[in-house]
Amino acid sequence: MASAAGSRIREALRPYLFLAPAIVVTAAVIIVPALQTLWMSLHDYVLFRPDDVPFVGLGNFIRAFSDEIFWVSLVNSVIWIVACVGLQFLLGLGTAMLLNQSFWWRGVARMLVVIPWALPSVIIGLMWTWMYDLNLGVLNDMLLRSGLITTPVAWLARADTALPAVVLALIWQGFPFFAVMILAGLQSIPDEHYEAAEIDGATRWQQFRFVTLPALAGVIATALLLRIIWVANSLDVILVMTGGGPGFATHTLPLYAFLKAYSAMEFGYGAALALLLSALLLVVVAGYVRRTAREGLQ
Amino acid sequence: MIERRSPLNRFLTVEIPILLVILFALGPYVWMILTSIKPDAELTRAPITYLPGTSTLDHYRTLLGRTSFGGNLVNSLIVALGTVALGLSVSVPAAYAFSRFRFAGRNYLLIQFLTINMIPVVLLIIPLFVLMRKLMLLDTHAGIVLGHATFAIPFSVWMMTSYFNALPRELDEAATMDGATRMQTLLKVILPLAMPGIVTTGIYIFVSSWNEYLFAMMLSGQNVRTVTVALQLFIGEFSVQWGLLTAGGTLVAIPVTILFLIVQKRLVGGLTAGAVKS
Amino acid sequence: MKRRQFLSLAGAALAAPAVTRVNAQSPATVRWWYHFDNPQATPGDLIAKFEKENPGIKVQAESIPWGGGNDYYTRLYAALIAGNGPDCAMVKLGNQARLVQMKALEPLEPMLANWAGKSDIADNLWAMNKASDGRQYYLPLQYVVLYLYYRVDLFAAAGVQPPKTFDEFLKAAQAVNKDGVAGFGMRGGGGGHDHWGTFVLGGGATFDKGGMVSPKALAANRWFVELGTKHKVFPASAPTDGFRQIIDNYKAGRAAMTIHHIGSANEMVQALGDKVSAVPVPRAADGKGWTSFGDESNAVFAASKVKDAAFKWISFLSTGANNVAFNTFTGQLPVTTSGAANWTLHPKRFVDASMQSLPVMGVLPDHPKTADFTRTVWPQNMQRALLGQIEPDAMMKAIEAHFHG
Repeated sequence: MASAAGSRIREALRPYLFLAPAIVVTAAVIIVPALQTLWMSLHDYVLFRPDDVPFVGLGNFIRAFSDEIFWVSLVNSVIWIVACVGLQFLLGLGTAMLLNQSFWWRGVARMLVVIPWALPSVIIGLMWTWMYDLNLGVLNDMLLRSGLITTPVAWLARADTALPAVVLALIWQGFPFFAVMILAGLQSIPDEHYEAAEIDGATRWQQFRFVTLPALAGVIATALLLRIIWVANSLDVILVMTGGGPGFATHTLPLYAFLKAYSAMEFGYGAALALLLSALLLVVVAGYVRRTAREGLQ
Repeated sequence: MIERRSPLNRFLTVEIPILLVILFALGPYVWMILTSIKPDAELTRAPITYLPGTSTLDHYRTLLGRTSFGGNLVNSLIVALGTVALGLSVSVPAAYAFSRFRFAGRNYLLIQFLTINMIPVVLLIIPLFVLMRKLMLLDTHAGIVLGHATFAIPFSVWMMTSYFNALPRELDEAATMDGATRMQTLLKVILPLAMPGIVTTGIYIFVSSWNEYLFAMMLSGQNVRTVTVALQLFIGEFSVQWGLLTAGGTLVAIPVTILFLIVQKRLVGGLTAGAVKS
Repeated sequence: MKRRQFLSLAGAALAAPAVTRVNAQSPATVRWWYHFDNPQATPGDLIAKFEKENPGIKVQAESIPWGGGNDYYTRLYAALIAGNGPDCAMVKLGNQARLVQMKALEPLEPMLANWAGKSDIADNLWAMNKASDGRQYYLPLQYVVLYLYYRVDLFAAAGVQPPKTFDEFLKAAQAVNKDGVAGFGMRGGGGGHDHWGTFVLGGGATFDKGGMVSPKALAANRWFVELGTKHKVFPASAPTDGFRQIIDNYKAGRAAMTIHHIGSANEMVQALGDKVSAVPVPRAADGKGWTSFGDESNAVFAASKVKDAAFKWISFLSTGANNVAFNTFTGQLPVTTSGAANWTLHPKRFVDASMQSLPVMGVLPDHPKTADFTRTVWPQNMQRALLGQIEPDAMMKAIEAHFHG
């Protein structure tokens, strides 16, 4: 009786034991600093005035809503996330499908495709800036030689081309992530599923639509979600390539929060902007969260 | 998918498109290699030249011989492997618990792990710096590993939960019937089957840590400088050492690419078709 | 950690303890932060020499990534707040006001009073580095003065002389502005306020209240913006160009003039030889002018426990031959009169252009908001004005509001 109760307690505690290490480390390195961020957001905390930190309540958040740059950055962030993640995903999906076919140099192809992903963002930003250069950039040179343009284009200095130019660099950096994730997912689809579909007379598109996609749904949803979060928060490539300019053409929300914190040293306002970004992301992924919660009840 | 293509068909519909993708993926990298073997004088010459007039390995020689780049590579390797080890060892049991157990607070915790992903890490840096200072972990490998855990753990908990969810629960039940404990089930039955997921997650952690700059810059000092920080030292106030920078960039990509070459067989072979999905 | 602890920790780190005496017997370790452009250059030899001369002191030098200035200072502020700052470090004027407000700096007057090398540094350098509270926290280490690069061959071909006034500048820029060569390689990205300052601060704008929106200031700024929008003597990439794009394109022969300093002289000569020379920046019609003083000093931090030893090290670096040796690594100019007298690292014409620019040399205000002005406020508004998104006058109003709003 006693041992049965003991084993039941052990049984009940087991999931928490499995979870404990993750929770402890996360609490130390994320939750505590995050609570400090929350604290900062409620104060007029300027780093070079450590003795004078008045409590301002929601003042920083209210300030954001009447801040023109906040709204510009928000719109840019939405474009940035949709364009980067959407195109990374499509290119990554296509690449994964191709790399799942058999051809004699598949191993080499799989290796080469990950190279952009293997480079630090700072290097990527510098290299792409160099390639976009007005006179010394390889892109303008190729376009001039092929006659597609007659005068070099200042890709990063024009309000209409700066954001697309930076987005292209980020697509380049990020599509291998999707390719790798989806490829791993593709390999877990048993051949029998395709054989069955083939017997039923399914076309290649139908096989893709009714066998491949449903099987990949979980991996794709998770990969999309994580990539959205990553792209939404990423700023180093923008910082290196345009610094948010020209004007506010490439100003995104995390960049704005970063500049407010580390250039203006207004950590209070910077923290509020960062938290607003988190809140907006939560809204975006609310559907996913709801689905997860529902699955959790199964 | 099942291969029913003729060689010509395959060439046109698979090999040509993948060749284009690889051209896109490699173009900038190749340009970086070309830049790294050009003498400095050729870099700022208009109109630009594609192939170096006289190629040189001087930049590589300087990089490896006269700067601490070799040591920085080792530091990056230690940090990245450490982050993979820490990330996977705490998140695999956690993900297994989320996937296989039903317990009070499960949904709440699961959603928390998703939400903390959304906190912009940029603003965590100064609090984290103060924390590391108190723990005496500044300028140690462990300090940077813990810093990188901020993005590694939430990510891998989620990734691994979704991989575990894809494995049928009957496997666990069968193992339990055979008298295996939960831990044995996880180690002996589930882990081998989840290997492609673990490898993929591990690669992601490795790459993120390998390429990370801000934490590495803030939490490191002279002793455990990583490559990303070392590369940044080539971008000075009034000059950029293009040769050293591109040579460094070229070298930095190689370990990750080799790693991928090694583990991709695991990705392929980890799951035997049909053994998992019912 | 509790918020209160966080702040009290910060307070404790910043509260200046009374002057600590270094015991000559026990070895003191001085932590010093620096940033060099050339990663191969190390201060190792200088440290060895110093430690030989001062047996009781060890110097632990740490190279910190510059990262456009941002990384260096983020790291510094974080370390100061965490109570883990260095004993002394290389610092620039743009951040002095903030560091003073944080009470992070140690005034150097008592130590300077007993330092023999003080008189070897020119009075105007001391004056420029004084804080707005009248104290001397910075010990000058190296400097540059911005001047105007011009292409000798292109000017000769176009039959124009290097400009001395703004009007001549415009005429010269228009004369050489052709065949894909921009008249003036203008820098609109971060740090480009140096270019703007020559024409707009030189043309009458000031940082005093109302100084940016005076009729004279507005006119000067309109004139400068029109160089790009109307006369088109700037390259198309000017709005986001940083120093690297400006220098690289100049070396490639894609601009006839630009404003920079002696730090880039040797690479310019390497690329262009005798075809490149320099003159002081042009001045306004009334003879007034402005050019940027690019400063670098060392400072001792108030939280240091080895202040005297730290001062010994930084004063060692600003002394005669040591300062010359230091500047051969960094490619800037020595701050000592004796060191400048026989300076041979750069071709003479660039040293001369630097020296002749001294009378109009100016600095940005010693204000906590200056750093943010140079990094975000100026580039954002300049870029919008160059792209025609805002009127030039709106740019000046934004700058006025940043400092006095």
